[in-house]
Amino acid sequence: MNKILLLVMLSVGSLFAQVKGDVEVPYIAYQIKMGKGFDAVQANCLMCHSFGYIINQGPQSRLFWKKKVDKMITHFKAPIPKEDAKIVTDYLFEHYGNGELK
Amino acid sequence: MKRREFLKTSIVASAAVLGSSTTLSAGETHQPIDSRKVSDMAFPEKRPLITYSDRPPLLESPRSTFARGITENDEFFVRWHLPDIPTHIDPDKYTIKINGLVEKELEISLKELKEDFEQVEVTAVLQCGGNSRSAFTPIAGGIQWGSGAMGCAKWKGVRLRDLLHKAGLKKDAHWIGFNGKDNAAYYETPNFVRELEMEELDDHVIVAYEMNGEDLPYLNGYPLRLVIPGYYSDSWVKMLSNITVTNKYKSLFFMDVAYRVPDNKTESETPEHKFKPTKPITTMNVKSVIGYPENGMKVYHNSHVVVRGVAFDDGTGIKDVYISTDGGKSWDKAELKQENGRYAYTEFRYAFKPTKYGKVTFMAKAVNRLGKEQPFAKDIGWNHGGYKYNGIDEVTVEVV
Repeated sequence: MNKILLLVMLSVGSLFAQVKGDVEVPYIAYQIKMGKGFDAVQANCLMCHSFGYIINQGPQSRLFWKKKVDKMITHFKAPIPKEDAKIVTDYLFEHYGNGELK
Repeated sequence: MKRREFLKTSIVASAAVLGSSTTLSAGETHQPIDSRKVSDMAFPEKRPLITYSDRPPLLESPRSTFARGITENDEFFVRWHLPDIPTHIDPDKYTIKINGLVEKELEISLKELKEDFEQVEVTAVLQCGGNSRSAFTPIAGGIQWGSGAMGCAKWKGVRLRDLLHKAGLKKDAHWIGFNGKDNAAYYETPNFVRELEMEELDDHVIVAYEMNGEDLPYLNGYPLRLVIPGYYSDSWVKMLSNITVTNKYKSLFFMDVAYRVPDNKTESETPEHKFKPTKPITTMNVKSVIGYPENGMKVYHNSHVVVRGVAFDDGTGIKDVYISTDGGKSWDKAELKQENGRYAYTEFRYAFKPTKYGKVTFMAKAVNRLGKEQPFAKDIGWNHGGYKYNGIDEVTVEVV
């Protein structure tokens, strides 16, 4: 308790990485629902994040999904055309919605 | 919908489709989802974990990891914000820059970091502010973590203060920004930069290159990350490459919009009336999680069960952990093991001999040295980001 930081005398060896070569993050084929507007989702969302990031948000309201899409445009600067933003929101609410408008 | 049905409808592993469609006007809180299984695919330097996303990687540690005071590197949770993470780092060439309001700008190699500064260690809990977010209904925005977006490791590195001292802070230095090497898909996307006020930084804040005696795993920020004991992990910047000293706060998305809770006494609000203003989540509240046994396990009648788990807070220190087997009516003290300092997990264990057949529920409640204790899940107020859940943990087993 009284000694939170322990001082360590360290002998430094040569630096080496503990992995051999480049690391590779595996690709996971998330089971995302097909339907109207999916092409727009694929074109606009997948550039930055996996489908896992979408479907693991849980079922949400239309307003929630609209705000998420807005956030991607406003804060994350995703170049999503206005008409696509509406299509993506509709798709998300239809397939990953909770039935509530807000 | 009852809790049990709710659990049944939530699908395991990567494609979790959460089941509840009940939208309560008040917002309500319950036990986080605990039914998810580890995936069958391992990420680099990891064993298979609960997997929410591959890009950016989001991995949760299973409940079993909370039966031990130190979380193994290959079981430690992973949470990145931006998709583009360097997949190759040359340790001989990697440097960290210190600039801004300093007398002398520095660019320090890993070798210099390990040779020219005092080497220090601190064992500390790393927990995502959204850990246990699946406890909130209506579902709070963000990844629906169970309780496994946390771990405890022994970090080794150098004091941030020593680095700043070497660079020499100018008189009006007030804020320090930290940036890592992860990048967004678009240049215009803001970097995941954190800013801390000078007075938030004490000698316990370190720039760490080692975790439990090994290099940091890539997915935990190899080769360098910030370690801020007692604080939620949103400020523990990974693949730390730049420290910039400024005199005024720069507006940043990840500081101003994300990782904030209502700035009121209970840090809560209702879904209809979101509370303004908000404040950053900063330090951790008192929490404990049971690591063994796990929900749904069977134990023998008249056998000797040892309930194990971990407890922690912001570094104030855990005083006691209590166990209840009668729904919270009576509480018994658990044995504690505290050998890694006040920022580390306190391990607790509790001997229990089941004398009645059927279901028994263990509850664990931690109390810290200031007398702050965990509330029941149902007594925690809802917040829109699903942050800072610290409800009394429950595990139900069957005595056979």
